[in-house]
Amino acid sequence: MAALQTSAPPAAEKPAKRTSLRRRRSIGQRLRHDWPLLLMTLPALAQLAVFFYWPSSWNIIAFMDYKTYRPFWENQFVGVDWFLRLFDNPYFLPALLNTLKYSFANLLFLFPLSIVLALLMHSVVSTKLRSVFQSIVYLPYFFSWVLVVTVFVQVLGSDGLVSNWLLGFGGERLDIMSDPSTFTFLAWLQWAWKDAGWGMIIFLAALASINPSLYEAAAVDGANRWRRMWHITLPGIRPVIVLLLILHIGGILNVGFEQYQLQRDAIGYQTTEVLDTFVYYRSVIGTEGPSFGTAAGLFKGVIGLVLVLVANNVAHRLGEQGIYQKS
Amino acid sequence: MTATDIPLKKRRKNTRPAWDEEPTWFGKIAKALFLVCYAAAIVIPIWAVVATSFASEDALAKAGGNLLLIPSEVSVKAYQSIFDGGALTRSLLLTIGLTALGTAISMVLTIGAAYGLSRTGSLFHRPLLMLVLFTFLFAPGMYPSYLVVQKLGLLDSYWSLILPMALNAFNLIVLRSFFMNSVPNELIDAAKMDGAGEFRTLFKVVLPMSKAILAVIALFYAVGYWNMYFQAVLYTPGLETQPIQVVLQRMLLSTQGIPGADVGQYQAAEAAPTAALKMAVVVCTIVPIVIMYPFIQKHFTKAIITGAIKG
Repeated sequence: MAALQTSAPPAAEKPAKRTSLRRRRSIGQRLRHDWPLLLMTLPALAQLAVFFYWPSSWNIIAFMDYKTYRPFWENQFVGVDWFLRLFDNPYFLPALLNTLKYSFANLLFLFPLSIVLALLMHSVVSTKLRSVFQSIVYLPYFFSWVLVVTVFVQVLGSDGLVSNWLLGFGGERLDIMSDPSTFTFLAWLQWAWKDAGWGMIIFLAALASINPSLYEAAAVDGANRWRRMWHITLPGIRPVIVLLLILHIGGILNVGFEQYQLQRDAIGYQTTEVLDTFVYYRSVIGTEGPSFGTAAGLFKGVIGLVLVLVANNVAHRLGEQGIYQKS
Repeated sequence: MTATDIPLKKRRKNTRPAWDEEPTWFGKIAKALFLVCYAAAIVIPIWAVVATSFASEDALAKAGGNLLLIPSEVSVKAYQSIFDGGALTRSLLLTIGLTALGTAISMVLTIGAAYGLSRTGSLFHRPLLMLVLFTFLFAPGMYPSYLVVQKLGLLDSYWSLILPMALNAFNLIVLRSFFMNSVPNELIDAAKMDGAGEFRTLFKVVLPMSKAILAVIALFYAVGYWNMYFQAVLYTPGLETQPIQVVLQRMLLSTQGIPGADVGQYQAAEAAPTAALKMAVVVCTIVPIVIMYPFIQKHFTKAIITGAIKG
């Protein structure tokens, strides 16, 4: 197994002397020495055990005919029956396709928007203006989805601010907040409003780490601003782009629950059904039962895991760092 | 305004490097226009929400629609009815309590594990770190998580709004990197030499040196608890007093009434809460974020660089 990147560099920095000393000690001696560290780690590990590893192991019921009313060992293993039922479910494929649609809309348009914002912001010379804009654009990242959707309803809804203006100019009311045919655009717009500032901050941090003397040398050699952007800026932020791309590809089925659940009443369930809302409405509060919902969740989790590993592997092959390195 | 404009312009000329050519007029205007429009798309809605929350009934009726930019008559009645001790007050107090307790628990877990896992040679260091890092790759899924909360008997308990989300592995790793890279090893060794144990070293040496990043992480947790909606929908649908985000959703996005409100409490005169009251609740959910925000902003970029990019 490979080690995550975060663990690799410090291990290399550590002086070799101490590690070799440690290795010669027995487990008991090391326990006597390190028990305070283990004790400090214990609460977090307990939390992970109860709320990450325990539920993870409950995924086994995706392969069983699990009923909550009988003891665990009385449930039969049924193989991949639940997955077959899942793929046969008339609501599953639309939910999957919707998830992919919203995810790709974000991938294709949110990424470039964050990069463009970061580049524009980076080129603003005045530090004061820059920090004002940065503060404004980044603020909605900390808003809840309830707040974001509420603000959208208030501004773009049929009784909203913009509709009111349009009426004043003799126009018609907007119905974008309840129109299923434009929901992909709306969902993207909300996502951009909320999260583009976050992407921008990360890209700005990457831009700030590019050595300015590279620009100077290029300018002296006669490269204009577009050439400098193409040959210095973009290569400079490429590792960050690749890192975020891998994370995004791994989360491609992970568009979240709240944004879609919140607009289910206004837009209709056909358009807003994504995998998470599918599990919630069909299984948690629906009639399909635990094994069905677990199978849908496991499908999502395994695809996400595979996609991260594949994307990271591809990144390694292209000579990028990715999220973890082989060790 | 003019007084601040002049030094800005001067600085502008001063900080553009000598090799950088002046942009064209078209470029300058297009850039400024884009950035100003983008900022306006964020500022104007927030302003309209705040303005509407202070508008009186008459001003709202005159303006039509459900938002206005400048109230013709100012009133704080909406805020009075939020803080009148009814369902909205209870919900706000609950959310403040959950945020405070949750953040405290999260910080204990995160600091402990970040420090406990910050010595590369310590016992079980690598396997324990792997257990943490694996959470980045896989998610247990909604139903199994729900099942575990159910088995623990925490459904419709406020603990289910804290414990399942108490640890964020990303924050843990960021803090751990900070302890390893930015707290000088010599100081830790010196403390050990003076006979300080691990706990003493943590509290007397490491934590005082990490105040800024600890504050940022605490604020991130606090924002997470404050914004919690999904967990409340999933784990505590039966509770009478709901977190403020759920209340906001019920008031503004669905036709249900405010959870936990006596019949008619906020509907004395009208069929539904007035626009000003709704917007006042929105403002109440924004205010804590805006208070915490400058601090996050100030230190965040540093934290992101040490944590995510350098690794």
